[in-house]
Amino acid sequence: MRYPQRTGRLYVPRRKARLATAAVLVATTLAACGGGQDGGAEAGAPKAPATIPELTKDPLTLSFIWFDWPPAHALEDFANAEYAKERSNVTVKVNTVPNANWHDAMFTQFAARKTDFDIPILDSQHIGEAVTNGNILDITDFVQKNIDVKAYNPYLLAAYGQFPQAETGKRDENAKLYGLPLLGDTWTMIYRKDLIGDKPPQTWDEMISVAEKCQADNPGVSGLAFHQANGSDAAAVTYNTVNGVYGGNLWDPKTRKIDGVLNDAAGQEAMEVLVNKMKPLTAKGSGNWFIDEVNAAVAQGKACIAFNWIAASGGLLDPKQSTLGTTREQILDKLGFATLPSQKTNLVPLGGMGMHVSAYSAKANQAEALNFMKWFERPDIQKKWAAAGGVPARTDALESPEFLNAGPFNKVYADSVPRMRDMWNVPEYARLVDIENTNVNAALNGAKQPKAALDDIAREQQGVLDSSGRKGGGGL
Amino acid sequence: MSDPVPSVIDHPGRAASAAPPAPGRSSRLSDRLLAVAFTSPALLLLLAMSVFPLLWALYLSFTDYSATRGGPAAFVGLENYTAILTSAQVRLRALTTLIYVVGAVALQTVLGFSIAYLISRRTHGRGLLTTLFLVPMMLSPVVVGLFWRFMLDAQFGVINSMLGSLGLGQVEWLTRQRTALISLIVVDTWQWTPFIMLIALAGLTAVPKYLYEAASIDRASEWFRFRTITLPLVWPLLLIAVLFRAIEAFRLFDLVYILTSGGPGVSTETLSFHVYKVAFLGFNTGTASAYGILMVVIVIVLTQLYLRYLNKLKED
Repeated sequence: MRYPQRTGRLYVPRRKARLATAAVLVATTLAACGGGQDGGAEAGAPKAPATIPELTKDPLTLSFIWFDWPPAHALEDFANAEYAKERSNVTVKVNTVPNANWHDAMFTQFAARKTDFDIPILDSQHIGEAVTNGNILDITDFVQKNIDVKAYNPYLLAAYGQFPQAETGKRDENAKLYGLPLLGDTWTMIYRKDLIGDKPPQTWDEMISVAEKCQADNPGVSGLAFHQANGSDAAAVTYNTVNGVYGGNLWDPKTRKIDGVLNDAAGQEAMEVLVNKMKPLTAKGSGNWFIDEVNAAVAQGKACIAFNWIAASGGLLDPKQSTLGTTREQILDKLGFATLPSQKTNLVPLGGMGMHVSAYSAKANQAEALNFMKWFERPDIQKKWAAAGGVPARTDALESPEFLNAGPFNKVYADSVPRMRDMWNVPEYARLVDIENTNVNAALNGAKQPKAALDDIAREQQGVLDSSGRKGGGGL
Repeated sequence: MSDPVPSVIDHPGRAASAAPPAPGRSSRLSDRLLAVAFTSPALLLLLAMSVFPLLWALYLSFTDYSATRGGPAAFVGLENYTAILTSAQVRLRALTTLIYVVGAVALQTVLGFSIAYLISRRTHGRGLLTTLFLVPMMLSPVVVGLFWRFMLDAQFGVINSMLGSLGLGQVEWLTRQRTALISLIVVDTWQWTPFIMLIALAGLTAVPKYLYEAASIDRASEWFRFRTITLPLVWPLLLIAVLFRAIEAFRLFDLVYILTSGGPGVSTETLSFHVYKVAFLGFNTGTASAYGILMVVIVIVLTQLYLRYLNKLKED
């Protein structure tokens, strides 16, 4: 019997080993290629049934995905308390991620064609990307059969569900719907009644001069506090708001033109106002502030006038988080909430999000998600959601005492609804908003001149829209 | 009839491998099969988790594939590579990364070696000091980034509070172009100086004592001993530590993400952070793959040059 003569070194025929390795790699590559092609066949949003299929009686967890902020926790508590009364086998779980990861957390799962959530809560501007990629269900037929569309302000229904994007303030009744409103939102002006008086400034210019005087009269208190960070959509929303108020436009949606529209005279004036008049009235080092930092400045009495999303303002009335008073009433003696001042126009930013159904969820979960959405949009539930701290979208709920009495800023929202304007709802949104965020942030922090920053935004955003069909090298 | 056992063993290794299977072991299970059976799980894992993704990324880098859009990947040749190599945006990020790598690694090397040198001269408490110095290295970069973000906050941070109590003005650490990059370098240095210190300390401890004794007899000065004995003997080890740190610093992502998000504007956006944006904001998977491959190639080429220098140093 013969044994190979070896000296401790493993004898593996090299050629065979190489062939085996190559075979494994080729097989894996082919398998991966196959997967990609299957995914491609699913392009375009699949349709949800018009009628809700039979619901399961087995225990089921209905999962949402949202970013971590108070409304997310309020929604989970509210849904488990109220929805469970009708569907006792269902548990609602609202998974949260940091705001900066929100888009990535949803779209990386969409990219894998498998999601651990059933209801993604998309920002209104994310709808285009999700619809184009076939990530969420087309619920047009479902809405027609189950939802009273006349009960809503048409623009709210359009902003949180329609694609292609609606014209500001309107809804195209022939357009398809991919979502229903979950939480309405806009900016509120938060002002110190004890420092600037009970009457809020009515125009943007007046607001700036009042803030200037307040800052001069109160050392240690800055005149203004607003979003300036380069993450999420922070600095971009700030510029877009000032742009709207000074009569500017973000783009011409019909011709997809940004360069020459955003940086026209009105756009330049808005950037000048933001960088040269508003920024000097903010606290030193506030160039990376977002929702929490603005709230902290208000709660600690460090700002005369601040701007923040209404849905994130509830904590300002909590005496445990504030130095302005030991009771809610004491805090409200010092803090006032008002709609944004107007200037050349009275536009305000549209915030809030809609509910959508993941195309990759199990059929039973999709059916449950549709049932939840139908339940959530009922008039009685919308009023309960308002009382629980949510911002509803149905007009009857918005006008109800349950909503208007639930918070001092709720009337601000109700009054702001007809004044809302959204950003671009296109598949390229994530890149457009990043370009705007980084350039506005650069201008606010002295890294770029205002005019140069605005021109760069217009040029780079135009480049993104123009190169959407480009082969290779995209995304730089 | 069983095979005869060799009566003379002239080569132990060969004799051991030539021995027949132990009694009770299946005759079909040869040494070769057994070795393949033991190594194949690890090999398969390596192929699936490392080699295949790398090759897959290489393939995608020649296509216009997007992970979210799906669909078949269209071959675009070298367009992704051309776009990256000619992009002003990429050049700007490369410059930021270069400044960061050089600044952080140089500072860490000087500080790490100095601390190690001082510790090596102590006879008491050396172990405790070394352990205490190593604590920052054991923390997650995300945790480090978060607490430094609070400490460097211009309004509420402890650093500005201390500067204020000394009568110095507030510094906008994270929101000004120059200070933001310096802050990143300082935080990275705080976390990773101990790594250089550890390697340098190992080198310093290994320097033979008799060399110093001989130098003492010759009445050599402290500086002369450091320059002619300590530094030349520790230098090759220190260079390896520098290599590891430079590679790590080159792919910096987490601290940037937490501390500055690349701001103000894009002034602290490193190459890795930019790749992340290309890959996950626009989901331009093909471009991002090419970008990643180019970064790997740069690291490999620079490492090879560096290793050659290191080998030459050893030979000399």
